[in-house]
Amino acid sequence: MPQRLRRPRAPVASNRIAADIGGTFTDVAVFDEASGQMLLGKTLSTPRDLVEGINTGVDKAGAQVRDAALFLHGSTVAINTLLERSGARTALLITEGFRDIYEIGRINRPDAYNLYFRKHVPLVERALCLEVRERLMADGTVLHALDEACVEAACDRMVAEKVEAVAILLLHCYRNPEHERRVKAIVQARLPHAFVTASHELSQEYREFERCSTAVANAYIGPRVSRYVQGIDEHLKEEGFAGSFLLVQSTGGLYQSEQARVECVRMLESGPAAGVVGVQALARVLGLEDAVAFDMGGTTAKAGVIYRGEVMTTSAALVGGYNQALPVQIPMVDIFEVGTGGGSIARVDESGALKVGPQSSGAEPGPACYGRGGEQPTVTDANLVLGRLGAERFLGGEMHLDRAAAERAIRTQIAEPLGMSVRAAADGILRIAVSSMSYAVKGVSTDRGLDAAAFPLIAYGGAGPLHAAAIAREIGMARVLVPQAPGHFCAYGMLHSDLRYDFVRTWFTPLAAASFKELDEVFAALIGEGRAILKRSGVKAESVAIGRAIDMRYVGQEHPVTVDLTPEVFRKRDRDAIKALFDAVHLRRYGTCAPAERAEVVSLRATVTGVMKKPPPAAIARGTARVPAAALRGQRPCWFNGLARAIATPVYDRTQLRAGNRLQGPALIEEHASTTVLLPGDSARVDRWGTLDITIGED
Amino acid sequence: MANKAKPVRRHTADAVLTEIVRNGVLAVTEEMKTHLMRTAYNMIIYEALDFTVGLFTPKGETVSIGLGLPSFIRGMANTVRAMIERFGADGVGPGDILVTNDAYTTGSHLYHFTFAVPVFYEGHLAGWTVCMAHWPDVGGQLGGITTDIYSEGLQVPILKYQRAGVVNQDLIDIIRMNVRIPDRAMGDLRAQITAVKSGERRYTELLERYGREPVLAAIARIMDQSERSARARTRSIPDGSWEAESFMDDDGISVGRRVPIKVRVTKKGDRMTIDLTGVSPQVSGFYNSGPSTGISCAQVAYKCLTSPTDYPINEGSFRALDVIVPAGTVVSAVKPAAMRWWMTYPMTIVDTIFRAMVEAIPERTIAAHHADLGVAMINGIAPTDGRFFLSSVGPAGGGWGAKASADGMSGVVCLNDGDTHNHPVEQMEAKFPILFERHCLRDDSGGAGRHRGGLGTEQVVRALTPINFNIQVDRVHCPPWGLEGGLSGAGNQVALRLEGREINDFPNAKVLSRRLAAGDAFIIRTGGGGGFGPPVERDAERVAHDVRQGYVSHDNARALYGVVLGATGGVDPVATRRERKTRASKARARSSTQ
Repeated sequence: MPQRLRRPRAPVASNRIAADIGGTFTDVAVFDEASGQMLLGKTLSTPRDLVEGINTGVDKAGAQVRDAALFLHGSTVAINTLLERSGARTALLITEGFRDIYEIGRINRPDAYNLYFRKHVPLVERALCLEVRERLMADGTVLHALDEACVEAACDRMVAEKVEAVAILLLHCYRNPEHERRVKAIVQARLPHAFVTASHELSQEYREFERCSTAVANAYIGPRVSRYVQGIDEHLKEEGFAGSFLLVQSTGGLYQSEQARVECVRMLESGPAAGVVGVQALARVLGLEDAVAFDMGGTTAKAGVIYRGEVMTTSAALVGGYNQALPVQIPMVDIFEVGTGGGSIARVDESGALKVGPQSSGAEPGPACYGRGGEQPTVTDANLVLGRLGAERFLGGEMHLDRAAAERAIRTQIAEPLGMSVRAAADGILRIAVSSMSYAVKGVSTDRGLDAAAFPLIAYGGAGPLHAAAIAREIGMARVLVPQAPGHFCAYGMLHSDLRYDFVRTWFTPLAAASFKELDEVFAALIGEGRAILKRSGVKAESVAIGRAIDMRYVGQEHPVTVDLTPEVFRKRDRDAIKALFDAVHLRRYGTCAPAERAEVVSLRATVTGVMKKPPPAAIARGTARVPAAALRGQRPCWFNGLARAIATPVYDRTQLRAGNRLQGPALIEEHASTTVLLPGDSARVDRWGTLDITIGED
Repeated sequence: MANKAKPVRRHTADAVLTEIVRNGVLAVTEEMKTHLMRTAYNMIIYEALDFTVGLFTPKGETVSIGLGLPSFIRGMANTVRAMIERFGADGVGPGDILVTNDAYTTGSHLYHFTFAVPVFYEGHLAGWTVCMAHWPDVGGQLGGITTDIYSEGLQVPILKYQRAGVVNQDLIDIIRMNVRIPDRAMGDLRAQITAVKSGERRYTELLERYGREPVLAAIARIMDQSERSARARTRSIPDGSWEAESFMDDDGISVGRRVPIKVRVTKKGDRMTIDLTGVSPQVSGFYNSGPSTGISCAQVAYKCLTSPTDYPINEGSFRALDVIVPAGTVVSAVKPAAMRWWMTYPMTIVDTIFRAMVEAIPERTIAAHHADLGVAMINGIAPTDGRFFLSSVGPAGGGWGAKASADGMSGVVCLNDGDTHNHPVEQMEAKFPILFERHCLRDDSGGAGRHRGGLGTEQVVRALTPINFNIQVDRVHCPPWGLEGGLSGAGNQVALRLEGREINDFPNAKVLSRRLAAGDAFIIRTGGGGGFGPPVERDAERVAHDVRQGYVSHDNARALYGVVLGATGGVDPVATRRERKTRASKARARSSTQ
């Protein structure tokens, strides 16, 4: 059944389709520019043939790809290929003398007391790390010219070894990419079917291990991701699609499928990033400058931040857990992830501590209440036992939950060992889950010096609205917003993404000596490049937005902070204002600054954005403060915050709510893929766009 | 602030609040770590992460200690206790920041400047946030081997860097006058203040939310849990008493005179006693450390052997451990013992404790590792700006020992350090007048065994301008040993290439105050880990894999493992069986004639 936010007024003519493929579900959102109508579809993902899931999702939304002008896509294919280690047979070409730097890495041993500690496992076996005779100095000058015969010999070896992908890492190429370019050209000529990546194409920062790891990750996932993107491209064409096919990057910006097939590693955090962009769009509609995005699914919870209207980003990430992480130096939405989701397993460990997650019951066998053989209690079981989930209403009634099984699991494995009641145990599980998720929220806010308490929390993902009010209380946040269709929010977010190209150029210079003329030239070059790519994309953007930022630090420091240059400061060429901005960013981030110290420029960042036309917000029908009778589904006993007594809690059907309706907690608001919990003392108002605007009670 | 966190004082299930506080205190030290790293001025802090941050109870018990230097786990708690003793519980107040780098208090060297904030909540002391970071220079002699503390630089006793919010400018002036690159030292000082203050802020949030008493009660429970889990794991070790012995090459002064390391471990019921009485008396050269380091050695070994992955470290982790370490040993040295290279010997002591336990718990112990930072010190005048520069080159990763069921890791930092990183080649070359010719694994350096030791590394570094070079590596002559029939890995080694000729016959691998000309190079080779179990028992396919990857040479596959490979690199099963059979009968013959 397609879910309709508005009844169609006319047959669909031209539209924009967004499809987000996650681990469990494929979500589709379709926006028709002509009618302003939005259609949604949700279906189980089909790991063996992902295109099938897209088809079903689009069908469920009641749309057809041939009617689309744009097809937008986010996928976990890149991150999964990396985490599952299912990528290509990859070789690494590297400066002579350094073939082991990828395996040696940073030599750290975070798991310091575990004699069985393991370090990162390279994506390339040592036998396929091949050296190239050449050497650049730190300033980019050539110490030893490139020995092309040596590259040819490496190619012979790679042909014999049936290599499918090649990464190239030459020292100091960020100062002079000529050798890398030449090596790439030779390899492409000799191995025409191989996927080839040179490190400078992805990252122009020093630190050879991190850049190497980035290039290798791209090469390793390249063939599979590239085939995947091509497969969808072909499928779309077969279905009569004649528009542009764009993918979501980890920055939340879009890029063309042709580019995605080359710079695959840029789509690692595709789906989660789209959710944060959705929050940015919603915040704009609601007139909010700042917001925390909170997404909770089956296995993890993620948080991101909108600050002063902008999505907060980071310039690098570690993939696969800190101890064995593979670094990827690519700008991304700053997302903090914790291993807590609906399926997270609760257990009592040997010393009597209650633990929740990070192990997850996954979709199979799933929580105990799924009745598919899962015997370990999970966060979902705790929600069911406390009455927050309706046994008959899960996924719009498509799935029945077994309350007795949930109780049994919690009793035998938590309550009895700890000598507490089942409800107290369930309450404890939720509180620990909430505490752990609150660290994801803090990780992107207070860790960055932002006062999370002053930000509204925007909750989505299937399980987000269930826990948002409790998380807000934990942190001291006063306001929670639950958008329409929170279970489809990442797909919705894609419809609000723009084409986006990020550029960084290293440019060491003391701020006091920085030449504005040179600064102008560098920015102009970067921006020109962005405009050219945008033009080549063939996508008609409504307008082009330019962002300029400077990475700065105090003279002597290593790690810079990024200072956004307002157009005014840039135009006025005001050095003191730039210095003051930097001091303020340092103070916000770390709690201290040193205004008397000199500052220096490390690199210049430019962002070129092709602004796309956005779906206008769709208003829902107006009502009064009183909730219509049709919206009340009945009452259910619920237990909140360790209260001994059940409270008869009203249950509402979200689709029947009207703008202006007011609700008082405790209350449960159910919709197809999610349930929102209002705790006692909370109140909510339905705004004109259908958003649940929750005020957290004084408790 | 628009909406401050509201205190929650309602009754909460103990187990739940405990878990929340456990996350909370980890977040305190995590944030301190991030802020120190991101704001620091010297590579050894921001890139190598040579520092430790911690949160302590009002009495100075360890609540949470960041992933810093394992060998320093006790030094920081002792420093807080010494601060409490110095000023008394009433002698500190809000807005105070204490400091010291006294080597006999921290147990380590003068480079370890330690700052501490007493955290007050509603008028009561609620804990301490503390940050130790390694400063690259604190004055004192450059190069060579010091023989007393006075030649090692400025000593700052425990005093107040800041009193009730007012900074002690006299102290700053004294420090500035005593260090070689004052601007950078002040930058690191500011970074450390940033770290302890952010820890204070984050811990205060926790106190505001749940109240001082409930938080301290939860902390007590966290410690009890760690204690219970360590006791339970200790109980599973058979009762008994075990000894082991090893040695250090020398103390740098009496070249070639071995320094004995003898340890005894006794285990009864759920208690363990580690006796370091047999460790060498303090030495003339700068390899000594203070009493807290002897305790750290025992605690690190105990944690690794009993409950390595159960919980992060806190005071409770070590309640069931007794440590015997008399005053005046190399790990309990008294003034004026030289301490500058304090970190080398303790690692071998811990390795030796692991060796003692192989009989009792072979599956939980590990063969020896390279046990040296492999750090060189360089200084000189930079050709770019004509100013004095000084840096460490390293730490270099080395080989770790094999275990009963797994190979050793290659190219990993030694036991003294946990989350310490190496310096990127590109960064070093951008900042100092040196050029790396190679940075790679040392093939064949891992000790052969049923499980192979990890490989050491090699760095060849060329001077681009005249530089002063200093290095003092140990465990050259006492290479990382194997266990249960596993062979030793290669020892550490230092070499120089002077006018194109390699010299590597230093009597003790200690190269002191050597001036290198432009074009000369120094070479640091770290040892490989020891093997575990007889090499001939190693799965032949894994030997073939090691040969394909170049970890083990074709010749050694045959000579050490008895594995014969065919022309394409595959195992020749018939020849291998014959080879291994011959060895077994030879070994039998040897053992019967002995």
